Amino acid sequence: MIGRRVFSTVSTLLACLALFIGLLPQRAARAAEPQPKTPIKHFIVLMQENHTFDNYFGTYPGADGIPEGVCMPVDPADPASECVEPFHIGNRPIEDLDHSTATALNQYNGGKMDGFIWALRLRNQEGSLAMGYYDGRDLPYYWNLVDQYVLFDRFFSSAIGGSVWNHMYWVAAQPGSEENRIPPEGYGDDVITIFDRLEERGISWKFYIQNYDPTITFRTMDQGGQRAAQVVWCPLLNFPRFIDNPELFSRIVPLDEYFTDLQNGTLPSVAYIVPSGASEHPPGSIRAGQRFVKSLIQALMRSDAWESSAFMVTYDDWGGWYDHVPPPKVDDYGYGFRVPAFLVSPYAKRGYIDHTELDFTSILKFIEENWGLEPLAERDARANSIINAFDFSQPPRPPVFIPEERVSEEQRPSPRRGVIYSAYGMGLVLAGSVIGWAALDSRRQRSADPVYPLRRLTRRRRRSMTKRSRGAPDE
Amino acid sequence: MATKPHIDQRQRTKSNASPATSLPRVGAHPWPRRALVAAGAAATVDRLILALALVTGAALRLWQINSLGLNSDEAVYLGQAAAIAGDPVLSEFFPIFRAHPLLFQFILALAFPIGGTDGSDLVGRLVSVVVGLATVYLVYRAGARLYGRRAGAIAALFLALMPYHVVVTRQILLDGPMTLGATLSLYMVARFAATERPAWLYAAGAGMGLTFLAKETGIILLGAIYAFLALAPEIRFRLRDLALSTAIMALVIAPFPLSITLAGGGGSQRAHQYLVWQLFRRPNHEWTFYPSTVPLAIGPLLILTALLGLWLVRRRWSWREKLLVAWIVVPVLFFQSWPTKGFQYLLPIAPPLAILAAQAVIQLGQRAAASKIRRAGWLAPLMAGAIALTLLVPSWSRIQTSTSDRFLAGSGGVPGGREAGEWIRENTPEGARFMTVGPSMANIIQFYGHRQGKGLSVSPNPLHRNPSYEPILNPDLQLRSGELQYIVWDSFSAGRSPFFSEKLLSYARRYHGRIVHTESIPVAAPDGSVVQKPVIVIYEVRP
Repeated sequence: MIGRRVFSTVSTLLACLALFIGLLPQRAARAAEPQPKTPIKHFIVLMQENHTFDNYFGTYPGADGIPEGVCMPVDPADPASECVEPFHIGNRPIEDLDHSTATALNQYNGGKMDGFIWALRLRNQEGSLAMGYYDGRDLPYYWNLVDQYVLFDRFFSSAIGGSVWNHMYWVAAQPGSEENRIPPEGYGDDVITIFDRLEERGISWKFYIQNYDPTITFRTMDQGGQRAAQVVWCPLLNFPRFIDNPELFSRIVPLDEYFTDLQNGTLPSVAYIVPSGASEHPPGSIRAGQRFVKSLIQALMRSDAWESSAFMVTYDDWGGWYDHVPPPKVDDYGYGFRVPAFLVSPYAKRGYIDHTELDFTSILKFIEENWGLEPLAERDARANSIINAFDFSQPPRPPVFIPEERVSEEQRPSPRRGVIYSAYGMGLVLAGSVIGWAALDSRRQRSADPVYPLRRLTRRRRRSMTKRSRGAPDE
Repeated sequence: MATKPHIDQRQRTKSNASPATSLPRVGAHPWPRRALVAAGAAATVDRLILALALVTGAALRLWQINSLGLNSDEAVYLGQAAAIAGDPVLSEFFPIFRAHPLLFQFILALAFPIGGTDGSDLVGRLVSVVVGLATVYLVYRAGARLYGRRAGAIAALFLALMPYHVVVTRQILLDGPMTLGATLSLYMVARFAATERPAWLYAAGAGMGLTFLAKETGIILLGAIYAFLALAPEIRFRLRDLALSTAIMALVIAPFPLSITLAGGGGSQRAHQYLVWQLFRRPNHEWTFYPSTVPLAIGPLLILTALLGLWLVRRRWSWREKLLVAWIVVPVLFFQSWPTKGFQYLLPIAPPLAILAAQAVIQLGQRAAASKIRRAGWLAPLMAGAIALTLLVPSWSRIQTSTSDRFLAGSGGVPGGREAGEWIRENTPEGARFMTVGPSMANIIQFYGHRQGKGLSVSPNPLHRNPSYEPILNPDLQLRSGELQYIVWDSFSAGRSPFFSEKLLSYARRYHGRIVHTESIPVAAPDGSVVQKPVIVIYEVRP
């Protein structure tokens, strides 16, 4: 009997010890994770697709938007060519404008920025659509969001080309290959990504993919059908070392995990997110894209992670749309045209338009500076960080659910309160005057009444008699 | 016609005045000392009764006045007041112009800076109490004018203790100020009838204007005045004076149309929509609603006494009884036949009923005294005391903090509503949106929580909804797209709309509703023990 009790006690102790030891590495790893230099402990970045700054925020007040008097020539080589002015797209149907490197260069036209229609015509597209723009009526959520947080109006795509290069700059600060396409053998070990740096330092990270299919990588993309594009959006699926290492591969996860991580308090330090259906890639719905972004930001705002987080939204390339700012030439690949970019954080400056010259490598720069990492390449080493968008001297701002409707001051009727005060004040004064006049009239009548003074006299007498009857000495 | 034979008026007044206040002919014979002492003592007693009425009336109205948060109607009226005062937060949720004129909201707006956003509920209710006590005093004046000071004082005591008036004037409702205006008008009409001075008829017009500005349904009492003038041929008046009085009333009412027309802000459109809705809306209560709720709130013994008093003088009804009866019957008939019924709508009949009951007490006392029964002098005080007691006990019971998970609109504050709203304000992101069973809880959330609330039961058909409320056109879509992030269930709305309560809970289940907060109140279990029962449950939903 005693032996059984001893055995039971020892077993329990051993089980507890095993549990403790099992937990130990995890706890130690967490404890070892370097602390960020700013209050931002969770940095989340989402990359949507294919719009320019002018296309989304060209008419946003205070931003470097569409200049007045712009009219894009249909043929820039012909001085007599007809031209197309920027116009509001609204509910007009749109198409996927060509956004190859060749088109980008033709639109850039040696820095003259006058080939936006012509370049598309060379691709058998009508081209005028490139001059269309959206505004707060079409992008109410984004416009409301930047009213409260930070809009970057000099944020350039890193490469004057399409998705592949730009996604690579986003994670590795370099194009990865000379062609704007994924090499058949994938990217080699010479291409270092930010996730390699984070892994080295034991900083948690995840790459969330909407509608993720883990069977599709650069090796199987030919059989991937429509889902094959996920290898473009998530460049890590083109790296043999990320695919073949189960530990690293387990960090590439479906987007659902973003929501569960927020609920469970397991959001990593750095999180990259790419969409699938809601990427806003033309002709996709921009409203669906906004709802998608809203769901991500609202989930963050509801979580405990909000107070120490920053959420950055940007777009991978210009998508063929017009933008009026010639991109600075920093090397053979870039910059490309400006893309929309905005930052949401409890430490973001309120309603601030940041004019700092930035590109995708500025995101890397911030991560590197925040967690003390080495630069990946020359581009990110030279890039400006997005740090100017933050104000760490302010206490963290409480979360605000931004509405999806944008109500302008004209639409929000503001009653003239003075009219209400005057009208009702006059009503009260009028009623009071009439009633007061009636009372005065009554008093005047009583005064004129020969019996009235006697009634007053008897009333006084009655009072004095009452006092006397209560014990006052009789006169 | 302009100048009246005053002696006739005095005779008419005197013949119906109570002995306590009627004066012996001055100069006919010297004042007997004992009579003067008795008259003076009677006046002191009258003053004491009035003081008792005002003190107990104030105590009943102030006791735990703010222990429960605002109900939906209170939240709306105070929200409107905040919007008039330019409060930046509440004006986001409560448009100035909704259904009613804005006199009371305008007065609340003047008092709004005293309490600010957080203390405005207490300040607003205190303003209501002042209005209630002013009505009590006016009842004294009107009763004294009609039947003598003793009757006035007793009537004031009855009204001060009456559960109906106590409950309504503890809340920020328009019916309290409307009743004040109506009682003022009644008093003016009584003075006109007693003196036939046209100035009082004009003043009655001004009083009716104020009554309308407090709440538009007060215009019903215009019918009572016209009915009275038609039924009391002994009251002589000139049509010109009546027209002038009506014109004054129209002038006093003018701020209502003027402000909605000139102030902008969509007021005129909303007022028009509201009128259409009121005309075509479906009944909200059975025809038995008033008979089953209002007599109990007024006091059955008081009503019986008033009826008895009328029966006692059935052979010699004067203009006084005609005036009071018209003041009661017209609104009762109107609201009984009008499809929209509300607990507090009949409050203007409370003052004339109190006066009639007081008059009956005086009458019975006089008759008993005349019958030479031993100690008959005690009958009137005993009756008045008994009636006062039957009013005081239910009043006291009604002003205790509610422990019911059911709620009758207009009968008091909503248990847990303020606490739930404050929790929402502190624990949910600004801009969060809430789906509730009905618009009532949505209003409370908007007032205390500063978050937008929408009622699931609000009909998408404009003919079947209050135009002040917006329907949720596609709840599934709004929940799925994250436009609605929280669901609030409450037992009060669930009791009224079981269908929408179940519908709301089905959305909570479908969208992974997670309870984030519960407000409970102690309720009596069938076995007599007190248990905590959830009355408001807040779910966070995730698509």
